[in-house]
Amino acid sequence: MKLTKKTTATNNESTSALNGVLGRAIDRRAFLRRTGLALGAGAIASALPPAMMRRSQAQAAREMVKGPIEIKRSVCTHCSVGCGVIAEVQNGVWTGQEPDFDSPLNLGSHCAKGASVREHGHGDRRLKYPMKNVNGKWQRLSWDQAINEIGDRLLDIRAKHGPDAVMWVGSAKMSNEGAYLYRKNAALWGTNNVDHQARICHSTTVAGVANTWGYGAMTNSYNDMHNSKCMFFIGSNAAEAHPISMQHVLRGKENGAKLIVADPRFTRTAAHSDQFLRLRPGTDVPLIYGLLWHIFENGWEDKEYIRQRVAFMDEIRAETAKWTPDVVENVTGIPGEDVKKAAQTMAEHRPGTIVWCMGGTQHTIGNNNTRLYSVLQLALGNVGVSGGGANIFRGHDNVQGATDFGILSDTLPGYYGLSEGSYKHWARVWDVDFDWLKARFDDASYANGPKMVPAMNLPGITVSRWFDGVNETDENVSQKTSLKALFLWGHAINSQVRGAEQKKALEKLDLVVVVDPYPTHTAVLPDRDKEGMYLLPACTQFETYGSRTASNRSLQWGEKVIEPLFESLPDHTIMYKLTKKLGYSDQLFKHIKVNGEEPLVEDITREFNRGMWTIGYTGQSPERLKKHLENKHTFNVTTLKAEGGPCDGETYGLPWPCWGTPEMAHPGTHVLYDTSKPVAEGGLNFRARFGVEYQGVNLLAEDSWSKGAEIEDGYPEFTSDMLKQLGWWDDLTEEEKVAAEGRNWKTDLSGGIQRVAIKHGCAPFGNAKARCKVWNFPDPIPVHREPLYTSRRDLVDEYPTYEDRKAFWRLPARYGSIQAQDFSKDFPLIHTSGRLVEYEGGGEETRSNPWLAELQQEMFVEINPADANDRGIKDDTWVWMDGPEGGVIKLKAMITNRVGRGVVFTPYHFGGWFEGKDLLSKYPEGTHPYVRGSAANDAFTYGYDSVTNMQETKASLCQIRPA
Amino acid sequence: MARMKFLCDSERCIECNGCVTACKNEHEVPWGVNRRRVVTLDDGVPGESSISVACMHCTDAPCAAVCPVDCFYTTDDGIVLHDKDLCIGCGYCFYACPFGAPQFPQKEAFGIRGKMDKCTFCAGGPEENNSEDEYIKYGTNRIAEGKLPLCAEMCATKALLAGDGDMVADIYRERVLKRGSRPQTWGWETAYKEA
Amino acid sequence: MRIITLALLAAASVALAGCSDVTVYEPGVYKGSSDPLVEDLRSEELRSALEDRVERQRDR
Repeated sequence: MKLTKKTTATNNESTSALNGVLGRAIDRRAFLRRTGLALGAGAIASALPPAMMRRSQAQAAREMVKGPIEIKRSVCTHCSVGCGVIAEVQNGVWTGQEPDFDSPLNLGSHCAKGASVREHGHGDRRLKYPMKNVNGKWQRLSWDQAINEIGDRLLDIRAKHGPDAVMWVGSAKMSNEGAYLYRKNAALWGTNNVDHQARICHSTTVAGVANTWGYGAMTNSYNDMHNSKCMFFIGSNAAEAHPISMQHVLRGKENGAKLIVADPRFTRTAAHSDQFLRLRPGTDVPLIYGLLWHIFENGWEDKEYIRQRVAFMDEIRAETAKWTPDVVENVTGIPGEDVKKAAQTMAEHRPGTIVWCMGGTQHTIGNNNTRLYSVLQLALGNVGVSGGGANIFRGHDNVQGATDFGILSDTLPGYYGLSEGSYKHWARVWDVDFDWLKARFDDASYANGPKMVPAMNLPGITVSRWFDGVNETDENVSQKTSLKALFLWGHAINSQVRGAEQKKALEKLDLVVVVDPYPTHTAVLPDRDKEGMYLLPACTQFETYGSRTASNRSLQWGEKVIEPLFESLPDHTIMYKLTKKLGYSDQLFKHIKVNGEEPLVEDITREFNRGMWTIGYTGQSPERLKKHLENKHTFNVTTLKAEGGPCDGETYGLPWPCWGTPEMAHPGTHVLYDTSKPVAEGGLNFRARFGVEYQGVNLLAEDSWSKGAEIEDGYPEFTSDMLKQLGWWDDLTEEEKVAAEGRNWKTDLSGGIQRVAIKHGCAPFGNAKARCKVWNFPDPIPVHREPLYTSRRDLVDEYPTYEDRKAFWRLPARYGSIQAQDFSKDFPLIHTSGRLVEYEGGGEETRSNPWLAELQQEMFVEINPADANDRGIKDDTWVWMDGPEGGVIKLKAMITNRVGRGVVFTPYHFGGWFEGKDLLSKYPEGTHPYVRGSAANDAFTYGYDSVTNMQETKASLCQIRPA
Repeated sequence: MARMKFLCDSERCIECNGCVTACKNEHEVPWGVNRRRVVTLDDGVPGESSISVACMHCTDAPCAAVCPVDCFYTTDDGIVLHDKDLCIGCGYCFYACPFGAPQFPQKEAFGIRGKMDKCTFCAGGPEENNSEDEYIKYGTNRIAEGKLPLCAEMCATKALLAGDGDMVADIYRERVLKRGSRPQTWGWETAYKEA
Repeated sequence: MRIITLALLAAASVALAGCSDVTVYEPGVYKGSSDPLVEDLRSEELRSALEDRVERQRDR
């Protein structure tokens, strides 16, 4: 009898899930058990079997599409490593992905997110067309209608309340061109209320590090870590947040490097370490001082390096003396022997690098942490050396670019700041009349701490507290009124704390506009009783093109993979449409060609090339970047330098500073502050940013200069006068002289001053020492202060937080009044948060990707077995978490020894729930992510960095109870 | 030429699930079916170690040995494939496989189990190479194009390797030699610390 | 007698009429369709392309 195949109809019954062969006890994530039942009837389009069944339209791209395969090269949209993505496109449909072996950054590799980016080409759950909320329901409208309504409301709000009533939150996922345009737009609108994810991510890093030695970016690169002999990770879980970086880290290990990890949790990164230090959340400063104590005690510091290139190390020594081993052990919880061993390892294995991420930055003393990490490296002589440095791993794919282009409320693009000089510089670049620009702003002055400052020069409200800017009374806000309108342009709200107050704010605002490829948690959180909430579909970076800057400062040009899906539009097109309605698009796009309604991306690049002199974004023209895209394979994987080929001698991505004009063809700067090379080849020294002397201390470098510098000593930053004094003025061409007269290296639009300085081997920004003391910060020398919500009440008197203050980033800020209260009895568990490898940021995008969502289906809290047993909590059961400010979330308990007793951990990527309720029904039809859950940040609390307003999401308190 | 093999270097595996989603992506594997999984031992404590597992393409494949309808075949270089048209979804191969490679789609023909699905070493199935039918039933056929399994080609840290067994062994050996006498796993120094 | 024999023969031939395409059960022998890839993998060209490809997984 012949065995024949049978055909059957689809069987729609859910069945019991098969258990994984190895069971749950071993596998942390246990996704085998959770094979989709948790999602109920949520119509998972992709759950059709491969055999014999018809695919859903959206899924079976390749079978439906014929045609030749076109290759498009872009960059992953998920983190700052900047992995190359190779897309196979047939007839405009994204049908396949291939590994980008040629990219020196990722060598073809991807993590779960990068390996799944093709799903962006399906986009089932995308926001498909403009929508507005009418009586709690989402209604579709056309782009023109939406722009008209939004524009009318904005103009009305502007007329009644002034330009500062609008908060423009931008995105770390915009391209450089999008980010630059966004910041320019805020300036032409007339406000400094413009900010983005960097605020809640590495704002304390940028402030702390830039104020130590000149620039606030990663000093070396991921690839350079092959050369490290010691790698110290503090508050960084690179295995989950920057997986491809681990390829470079592990290669470094194989080259003999020691890996030390300090973290409250035994993370997946710690699993690869040689030494693990379990640190009480918020005690980074004591730990670093503890290491310095051993370093100074044993004379392991690099004395010559300090003499030449570092100022005020003696004041660090004085503070270090207080942190004896037993004190450090008491405060951090790390055994003294372990701290000594770590210090010795670092001293004996140089060059060493330090890596930190949110674990170190997200604190009320974040700026102290970042400065002290830098000081540690200075003490060891590890900065400006291949294999050394402060390798700060940035977050989103273009947070580096968005930060550099100033989507920040305290600066214009390029960190020029908000002074009149800064606005004048940019007015020249933008070719807009300065007086016209000034008139766009509110002309009144408001409080900034004790001083009164005109609105135009006053740092705006930060994204970390946008909702306070809405909820506060007019008297308490340093502007005409509280905020009336909010743009959330590529930014989630569940990555900020105090969800209940955000909900109130979203309900109070007159206008809320979400511009995003997905509706986001913002769309479902509020229960508004008035109109004025809009969702505009932006497309992803795969549906447009432009440059993005990876964490190592390399710029990568990404090609457009597919046309924008559904009715989505690129950021720059949306900005054109909106500003045309608002009446100033001709100013915004004065020197940027607009084809139909789409601004030409390359013209935007060229415009910022003309203005970003401070950090050297001037040499990376579209042409040079495209050449790098074509020749990725010619770059050496460790040095990132092209060996032969069309880009010979250049560093991949022309990492900034790429000095001078594109014609000058500077190769980019791989390792910052490296005096072993000439500036013309990417060498540098520390920047002269803080003056030439302070309180009698010489701030210029002594007996140290970059190779080949004709000034063999420290020197200040270059001005036209200085060129004249040096006798180099006549090296400028006639045209350059005209532009450079009376200007300096930052404001000379010809680039001549930079060119001539470099010609003579000098760094345009001067040659100075790094400073350990930042005299204009609340704590000039970094000190320890307990988190606002701390369980160590015995330490609060010795290490108190700051005093409450008024008019800090336009709002009153509380510190001491919160710490004065003892919450530790009712909320005894230390609550810290972090990332999961499967998701990114607020999570709506990645939780809408079924290939990722399947791997992490429920929001959870990691809790130690002892703490669980104390509360009668069993593994994988529902629990409530209560925060001390009333925030409450419902989530699953995961019992694990990963966290120590007394500490619990939540991933912050979940959203779409509030106070235990799934907000599924509030999503626009067909846009709900596959996986939703409580937002961890709803249970987090008040607490903002004393310099940058970064939120304190790594050290709070909570209580957990069975549900 | 040696047999085609996978090797997962657990010194480098960081449990990122890149291999898992690369496979999902490449073959449009539906929800509930996981051709490749990452298994972690000692999760959250020193000694934590992860390894990526899919079909091992055994030389003497237990799945093939027990299949009542003989739907399995092996290429000369060791890739074990099967014919879904013949498969009756009995699940006996699932009993036999020591690695849990056979997967059964949740919703499907035959009630509880559908046709068995498993890692194909990105070599498709009996249908014409890279045809629509082959894609619908088995996923892509990279081998026919001279490419190797996407899970390994996209592995975040090059922990997972796939291809000619001799060459894979060579890559791995080079790493082991480079690591010298100091394995990177936690505990080495505890076990062997000086007296 | 002859009629019974003939009738039996006729019945037998009818009964066995559909049996020409029977699969005789041979344990362990693959019963499915033939895969063109199996033959392709015997070609030097494809094998050498696959060997070269492994190199891309080596650290460079």
